[in-house]
Amino acid sequence: MVMEAQSQQTQQILRRNRPGTSAKEFCQWPDENFEEMDSTLVVQQYIQQLIRKDPSNVEKLLTMPDGQDEGVWKYEHLRQFCMELNGLAVKLQTQCFPATCTQMTATEQWIFLCAAHKTPKECPAIDYTRHTLDGAACLLNSNKYFPSRVSIKESSVLKLGSVCRRVYRIFSHAYFHHRRIFNEFEEQTFLCLRFTHFVTKYNLMSKDNLIVPISDAGEIPGESEA
Amino acid sequence: MMDENSLNGAQNVGVGQSRVNNAVTGDKIADDASNGNAQTVPQYTIPGILHFIEHEWQRFQAERSQWDTDRAELQSKIAVLLGERKGLQTTHSDLIRRIKMLEYALRQERIKFHRLKFGCDPPTVDLTQSPDEQGLELNADAEYPYSPVTNQMWERGRARLQNYLKEIGWTETIIDVRSKCTRNLLKLGNAEQEENISPNVNGTETNNKRASESQGRDQPAKKSQQQQAMADALLLDTEAAVMSSFAFLEPADVEMDDEDYMGDDMDLVTGSSDSDMKQLKLKTKGVIVNDDDADAEAEEVLNDLNRLAEGEDANMNMVVNNQRINEGSMKRRGVMTGLVGDEEVDSSLGLGELAELTVTNESESTYDVNNSKESYRKTWNAKYTLRSHFDCVRALAFHPKESVLITGSEDHTLKLWNLQKTVPAKKSASLDVEPLYTFRAHNGPVLCLAMSSSGEQCYSGGLDGVINCWNLPNSNIDPYDSYDPEVLKCSLEGHTDAVWRLAVNHTKGNLVSASADGTVKLWSPQSKIPLLNTYSSDTEGIPTSVDFVRDETDKIVVSYKSAVSIIHDVETGKPILKLTPNGMSGATDPTKYINRIISHPTMPIIITAHEDRWIRFYDANDGTLLHAMVAHLDAVTSLAIDVHGLYLLSGSHDCSIRLWNIANKKTCVQEITAHRKKFEESILDVAFHPSKPFIASAGADAIAKVFV
Repeated sequence: MVMEAQSQQTQQILRRNRPGTSAKEFCQWPDENFEEMDSTLVVQQYIQQLIRKDPSNVEKLLTMPDGQDEGVWKYEHLRQFCMELNGLAVKLQTQCFPATCTQMTATEQWIFLCAAHKTPKECPAIDYTRHTLDGAACLLNSNKYFPSRVSIKESSVLKLGSVCRRVYRIFSHAYFHHRRIFNEFEEQTFLCLRFTHFVTKYNLMSKDNLIVPISDAGEIPGESEA
Repeated sequence: MMDENSLNGAQNVGVGQSRVNNAVTGDKIADDASNGNAQTVPQYTIPGILHFIEHEWQRFQAERSQWDTDRAELQSKIAVLLGERKGLQTTHSDLIRRIKMLEYALRQERIKFHRLKFGCDPPTVDLTQSPDEQGLELNADAEYPYSPVTNQMWERGRARLQNYLKEIGWTETIIDVRSKCTRNLLKLGNAEQEENISPNVNGTETNNKRASESQGRDQPAKKSQQQQAMADALLLDTEAAVMSSFAFLEPADVEMDDEDYMGDDMDLVTGSSDSDMKQLKLKTKGVIVNDDDADAEAEEVLNDLNRLAEGEDANMNMVVNNQRINEGSMKRRGVMTGLVGDEEVDSSLGLGELAELTVTNESESTYDVNNSKESYRKTWNAKYTLRSHFDCVRALAFHPKESVLITGSEDHTLKLWNLQKTVPAKKSASLDVEPLYTFRAHNGPVLCLAMSSSGEQCYSGGLDGVINCWNLPNSNIDPYDSYDPEVLKCSLEGHTDAVWRLAVNHTKGNLVSASADGTVKLWSPQSKIPLLNTYSSDTEGIPTSVDFVRDETDKIVVSYKSAVSIIHDVETGKPILKLTPNGMSGATDPTKYINRIISHPTMPIIITAHEDRWIRFYDANDGTLLHAMVAHLDAVTSLAIDVHGLYLLSGSHDCSIRLWNIANKKTCVQEITAHRKKFEESILDVAFHPSKPFIASAGADAIAKVFV
């Protein structure tokens, strides 16, 4: 581990964002070893720490620490993706209007129906985006399916796939209809790249559905040809 | 064991996968290291194991209490059903007896008729045959078996029956009581029958299970089966209400036993014995309802029972129940007026939110009478868990009037929660709430919130340096409604770094913000040029928190990174007064870092929360340190004060919130452990509802909690 050397100091450091902390210093504390983290939210802490360090280092991001429960690992990653997708939604709100994007589409092939309603509806793209993110937030925080962030039932892990499929459509819509926003966002966060690698690695989505081309597709085994 | 194994299995799978992946990408070194470890000893982390054990333990506890509850409920259900059955049996035998008597009377009449007509006794064959005939008749027309007979004959029959009854020893009074209740019963069924039969039905209780002819029996037996089925169905609906009614019926029952009809009140006896249990359970839950509620509930139960009785037109027992409950609840009322204050009235299931809400005010008088002096303030209990954020919840703001809360989180969003729209959580006393609206506009964590005094707008400050003004959507909005860009009213741009604290002046509607760019800005969000003034301190550094002094428009108090707070004049921006912690030389002291500063709403007192675990109270007129106390085990992060200025709420990174009585001795009234840690942060904000009995806490664990 990289932070091996710093482990001695970590005891004295209080990792806090006190009021008055500037945006630059926000969360800019020395890394902490995964083994030394002792809160319930270790996995989230660890993932966020890696992202802050280098969001483009997909390999490192998706390497699960030893002894980690895979269900929790996937779950926390997905939480992080949904959270960061809020950023893309904020950008889309400025450009994606119900009048221009009346349906959730990516390429001309598919129209997606919004599953947030009792009967699936053809929501405008921006509503689809918001509803999907809200729905994902509710599901991933549901006391019924995910009562704990330390261990997760096998049956609940299966839910992650459908969340992935739905939120991926936000990427694809942004890519095919709001390319400038997509590129801007991707440059900062590498979110789509990370997401594609994530779902490929853990088989959460079929490759046919991964329609957004990513730059370094060659690096992952069996990456989508699109 | 099973869990552990499966956990283990999952880990192995995980390691295997990562190995494959690593091998493919050629990262051999990391691969070897992880590989060696994984194969010899499965890697458990101590916190992982501890949390697993803790989690399991909690789960077992929850399940056990759930089982207890279920068992108690099922037992009482059984008791009710047993009572029900008993009642139906009694009805059944009653009806059979009635039929027997009528058969007998008819037989007598026929004999007499025969005698008058032919002048001799009828052949004996007649006697043996007649019951059969009657039986057939009964089968053919059970409801109106005797339609052809004349009134005169009935008169005679009635007189004769009364004679019989006198011989058995039944007095007129009993007959009257009895007939009254039969009348009640038959009113629901058949008026004609009532008129004719009721006086005859006088409890032939003493005579029993005398073997009766099968024909006579068949009909009622079938009927009572139907009744039973019907009653079962109805019971399912009304069960909860009935259950609770038994709880308050119990004392009344005891008083009434003497004047009761014999026999058929087994059901209530069993019912009340189980109500003991119920009551105990309720007591442990600490649910208290005032007498009005109990009566209201009694009425509800009565209605239910009425329906039940109507459903089964010959179910005398239910009518009896009904009367008893009527009397019972009337008695109860009498008792209540006599005993207010002495007795806890526990009788609530399914009152839901209303009960919870009224409890906080009215029940206190009865509940805490005998407790110590601080008991006039109830204890707060976690009621709502607000989960839907993905990361630390940084800020809270209550609506000034409605049960609405807004939370701001590091996941870039704000969420609106209506505490009256809840989803009952499985196996737990607390309720889950789902957010009604998600506000998205910040490009980064949301750090602070403030609510306008009208409750129509809310302001949020973020790490992106922007202050957003939001028009609050309706508190009953459909969470999946379409996007309305009008919700974001405007953005106040001017700060160049994170905005950490917002405060609203309720008289003028002005907003003051403290930012990491070193400035405090005063805004008038409604104006065209919203920025009114900018304040900063050359000597004290970056502001950490800000508030209006006593909600006045002319003074603000700002805490700075140097642990010094300064009261500024709003017009001129000049510092008026400097508030310095004791023992400070004037140099910056990072250990006394001020995380939050608030002003007392009515008195000239400024309160600061410090990183060094202290809460300090200053006089806002002369700047003296009035009081200082070690308030928590770790840094104090947040403060809130109730509208009357009697109670202070503090949140800390020690995972607890504490409630302080600041009116007299500044004692800690209650401590609640509320949240878990993420890194070294735990509780990031606390809030009092301005008009309702709610307090809330926001945690780094992405959860907000509301206490009542």
